[in-house]
Amino acid sequence: MSVLLAPRAVTWRVATVTELIQETPQAVTIVLDLPDWPGHVAGQHVDIRLTAPDGYQAQRSYSIASGPDEGRLALTVERIDDGEVSPYLTTVLEQGDELELRGPIGAHFTWRVERGGPLLLIGGGSGLVPLMSMLRHRAARGSDADTRLLLSARTQDDVLYADELREAPGLRIHRTLTRERPDGWEGYDRRVDRAMLEEVGPPPHERPHVFVCGPTGFVEVVADALVELGHDPAAIHAERFGPTG
Amino acid sequence: MSELWLDGNGVAGTLTEVFGAEVTAIARTCGSCGTTAAVGAHRAYRGAGLVLRCPSCADVAIRIAQLPDRNVVLVRGSWSVELPRS
Repeated sequence: MSVLLAPRAVTWRVATVTELIQETPQAVTIVLDLPDWPGHVAGQHVDIRLTAPDGYQAQRSYSIASGPDEGRLALTVERIDDGEVSPYLTTVLEQGDELELRGPIGAHFTWRVERGGPLLLIGGGSGLVPLMSMLRHRAARGSDADTRLLLSARTQDDVLYADELREAPGLRIHRTLTRERPDGWEGYDRRVDRAMLEEVGPPPHERPHVFVCGPTGFVEVVADALVELGHDPAAIHAERFGPTG
Repeated sequence: MSELWLDGNGVAGTLTEVFGAEVTAIARTCGSCGTTAAVGAHRAYRGAGLVLRCPSCADVAIRIAQLPDRNVVLVRGSWSVELPRS
């Protein structure tokens, strides 16, 4: 298979922070203004580069949270306490500040509404971010494609976009809280496993497009369980977080 | 599980820098085990440089040494790539 590649420059651009939204105690959504933003596909990311006064540079990748139909660029960044870049982005950055970034980047971990369903989205912690872009795209385009979202977080306070995540025609949302659960919790109470994936569906014979995003260990376990259940490895798209922040 | 690796799509920015185009959705066939997988599904290891490995047998697919003024690139296996003319 070969794919005709669209020309794409990877030049660094300067974006201006227009809004900061505290999503959870650890995570902030950064809304950016970029005059010549070419638009993105749900699931893509950007690279952000910080330069210290002495010239030292640190670069990280962050998933795009906004949907491609919104006409704006928003990233959600989770703070890694001993990280190099995320503490700056989540606690120091202010409205009006400038950020150097390049993108949109990536074509493998992407979904367009034209591809249809079924869609199986599995997010661990802030692994929900690129999946949210897909859900926002799906909603904006009025799609009712069979979509299952399985969301894993430590506690309810760690769940991103909690107010926005609502079931809709064709969209079913399953939640698991692995560390602490509120009274009367009706979701799952354990780490994602094979039995949970089997209950959430859709079954492998329906050939869903599968997107898994989260920490390395999470993605590893989920991807292995999906293959054991009989899902086509080529239909499983994975995006792991690195150990750095 | 404790190994520090990402997915090929996680380092798409650097790959785009090298190829001059987005390549994570294209297929690459491993010269060692014959598995065909999307570049974005390869394993990416970051150290002094960047190494992509076959997701099936871990044979090296590409090695990129990032020097201050240039990237030094070693490509292995079969890559089917169409690059835009400019």
